[in-house]
Amino acid sequence: MADDVTKKQKKLAGNTLFTHFIMFGSSGSRVLNVINISYLQSRSKRVWVRKPLGSPMAKSKIFRITPKPALPEDEKAEIKRLFDNYKNSMKSIRQYFFEQSLKQAESGEVAQTKHRLEDQEHEQLVEENRLENEKTAMLREEKLKIQAEKTQQNVLASLIKKEGEAKLHEIQIEAFLTKQMCTPFIQAENIEKAIEDALANPVNFNFALDLDGYIYRGKDTSIDTIPEEKRERLSRN
Amino acid sequence: MASALPTFTKIGKVIRLNRHGCTNRPFYHIVVQKTKDNQDGPVIEQVGSFDAMPNSKNEKLVALNFERIQYWLAQGAGLSDPVAQLLGLSGFLPNHPRTLIQAWKNRREPPRERKIEAIKGIAPPLDNPKL
Repeated sequence: MADDVTKKQKKLAGNTLFTHFIMFGSSGSRVLNVINISYLQSRSKRVWVRKPLGSPMAKSKIFRITPKPALPEDEKAEIKRLFDNYKNSMKSIRQYFFEQSLKQAESGEVAQTKHRLEDQEHEQLVEENRLENEKTAMLREEKLKIQAEKTQQNVLASLIKKEGEAKLHEIQIEAFLTKQMCTPFIQAENIEKAIEDALANPVNFNFALDLDGYIYRGKDTSIDTIPEEKRERLSRN
Repeated sequence: MASALPTFTKIGKVIRLNRHGCTNRPFYHIVVQKTKDNQDGPVIEQVGSFDAMPNSKNEKLVALNFERIQYWLAQGAGLSDPVAQLLGLSGFLPNHPRTLIQAWKNRREPPRERKIEAIKGIAPPLDNPKL
């Protein structure tokens, strides 16, 4: 029974032992993930990707100890030196190629034609701009002229108005002044006379008014004592 | 060597060998590809070829488009080891260290048995039939 099993296993060894797993990766498919469909059919050779992670170690490999390749120190040093030099040269070469490509991009035919076209376009646009500016300048001039005239007229009108107002004001001032001068101000000469007059004619501010318009002067006046005909009527001054 | 310089950002493209040909008869296209794509996947540009089997005159023929390779290196494409070695041997780039290492190892080790006889032609007979 055991022999049969081993024989079967050996027979299958030519194919894959792990029939449940898809280990070979073909372009377009993801191995051991959900998606195992390639949308583009390819009949290329299957490429070994890796052994499935859960699978056990092969019996022939369990007790294998791989011989570690131990290089002598000087050989290692030589290898390191060679690689360092190579890396340095490669870096500089790549940098050089990059700079060359930039230069070529600037000076090449394509770039030159591009520059030429750009310059042409620039000239055209500048010309267009100039024409446009001229047009707008004309319009602006006209507008400004009209505005200037308007402002001139406005200014004139306002000046005239102000003049009129000033005159009116003057007249008013004169009237006021004359009125003020008419009022009897007490000057230094008149003062004695004014005092004498004031003393001689005391002003009594006590009075009462009636709804009918009659005025009763004096504090101690009784209405009954004055007969109807002699009642003073308050008139507007 | 797919080395990215600190000044360059990785553009994700590599110049490497694509195996074509038939069983036991490899023929490589030197090709610019995206790093992610498979070896037999989509190719951006073919930039040369390499025939690994020596011809009747004992030559291994290599074709290289130096202008385009220079362009792609300027863009920041990486190089695989074999391609770097071929470019070094052709004189376009400095010799890859691996060439020298392989050479002194071959000189050191004894020759191995061969089933097929070495072809004699224009190229001088190899003193180390390991190659």
